[in-house]
Amino acid sequence: MNSLAETLAREPLPREPWSAELVRTWAFAYRNVIMARRNVFFVFELTFWPGVAMLSHGLLTRFLHLDARMTAFILVGTVALSAVQVCQLDVAYAVLFDIWSKSMKHQFLTPIGIRHMAVGSWLVGVARGVVVFLLMAAIGSWSFGFDFIGGGPGPLALFLLGCFLTSLIIGLLVCSLVVLFGTRAETSAWAAVNFVVMLSGIYYPISILPGWVQGVSAFIPLSYFLDAFRQGYGFAPYYTHAWLRGFALTAFYVVLAHWGLAAAITRSRRTGLLLKLSE
Amino acid sequence: MLAVDARDLHKAFTSGWWGRRRTEALRGASLQVPRGAIYGLLGPNGAGKTTLLSILATLLLPDRGSATILGHDVVREATAIRRRLNMASGNASFVWSLRPAEVLTFYGGLYGLHGSVLRQRVESLIEQCELGPHRKTEYNALSTGLKQRLALAKALINEPEVLFLDEPTLGLDPDVSIRLRAQIAALRRERGTTIILTTHYMREADELCDRIAFIKSGQILAEGTPDELKRQIRIGDVVVLRLEPAVPAEFADQPGVLQVHVRGDQVECAVDSSEKRLPELLRWLHEQGVLVRDCQVHEPELEEVFVEFAR
Repeated sequence: MNSLAETLAREPLPREPWSAELVRTWAFAYRNVIMARRNVFFVFELTFWPGVAMLSHGLLTRFLHLDARMTAFILVGTVALSAVQVCQLDVAYAVLFDIWSKSMKHQFLTPIGIRHMAVGSWLVGVARGVVVFLLMAAIGSWSFGFDFIGGGPGPLALFLLGCFLTSLIIGLLVCSLVVLFGTRAETSAWAAVNFVVMLSGIYYPISILPGWVQGVSAFIPLSYFLDAFRQGYGFAPYYTHAWLRGFALTAFYVVLAHWGLAAAITRSRRTGLLLKLSE
Repeated sequence: MLAVDARDLHKAFTSGWWGRRRTEALRGASLQVPRGAIYGLLGPNGAGKTTLLSILATLLLPDRGSATILGHDVVREATAIRRRLNMASGNASFVWSLRPAEVLTFYGGLYGLHGSVLRQRVESLIEQCELGPHRKTEYNALSTGLKQRLALAKALINEPEVLFLDEPTLGLDPDVSIRLRAQIAALRRERGTTIILTTHYMREADELCDRIAFIKSGQILAEGTPDELKRQIRIGDVVVLRLEPAVPAEFADQPGVLQVHVRGDQVECAVDSSEKRLPELLRWLHEQGVLVRDCQVHEPELEEVFVEFAR
């Protein structure tokens, strides 16, 4: 129990208005938007790589004489990979910008929570992901006659939401790895998403994966979102209640990833890595 | 009322395979800083200054011991107490593409500031830190001095009650250092901010700090006002006299005289207290029929204190 002297010495902390929560979230979005406007690599992320992916995969479907259904199967995967990649990078940038500029300690010196970092940067990621989707939809539709609303606007909205939530989880995972292992882990920002989509049946059905890998795929929300959205194009479902299971799994991973990043930051404060990343 | 109360802080870092190499950065450091004080932490490289500052600033977790800022625990209440403290370091760095006002707006946002309050504070800091002409310059293109000023502006964005400055004038031109020191002094004078600073510049510590702690090998070896510390190491004041005729042989035996060096007609002697001993010595020399042609008194510099403790 605190002594009377200790109690008297404690100066009460003033209550904060609720708007402070929103402002902290906005600050991360603000920084990501400025960086996106000023750095050329953002333009490449937003236009060049998604454009190249859509064109090359579309041309591949032509070369293999795939019908409209199979073309849709492939191109849905192409869109998913690009949208998830761009959106998760924005979440990872919440930490990567500070790693690259060696300003990590200033961010963690402020009274922020993981929710502010994650949601603020994720919202910019969602906006950029929507731009990527629209660009790819335009290229796919114009060049290969692919109708992205063919599965219905509702499933499309759910599919994109699922992709962006998957990005949030992968982005938080990347942040955790970077906070735990420093610059050695920054390549995970590009590697993690490719590994995840490979296991979630990006250009092929889950059923062709080896049995144990199918078991692993069942733990990845994107597997369910791809499966559910492709049903709108006439493919037989692999999972039952795919939307429901996908979002339930996503909610679980969001909480887990939040906890994981909090634990990684605490460990980094203990080992001193948080300071080393600012030197 | 204490702004900072740290007791028996221990911190070790491990490195190498399986953390087999262990470096003790702090070994029972304790520190009490009253509100509104400017407190200096001095010590050689690797003494533990930055480690101590980082624990107090909630960036590092101690292995043992406790620390409070304004009565709040830096481990258990870290997020809440961060609203009332801030830090600037000499080697500060910010995201490369942001302009000064954007850096301040971003960090201001992280402290929950918004709208006209944030805008006014950013503008006032830009003006106060003379960053106005560099408003359109991205961080990477700023000079070292401007980066340092921006770091100080960032550290003031939340009007902290406790401010940590880690070598704030490192690598700055003398004129910029002088202006920065004036700003630091004004902060305490005008806002009553408690400032804890580390520095390698003894003059800076002597000029700014009310109290100073010498830290070495993770332990605080001495603490006090600059004058107390100078007295503590007993190097005494130096009195230089030019005498005619030569120095009497009994001069070294006078009370309070610690050392005597004679060079021609000049005698340089260390005395325990010039204030007390100088009148006695002058009287004695007069009695001996020695004429004092010149007399100078040098108090020991903080630098000498530093060398003594760092030894």
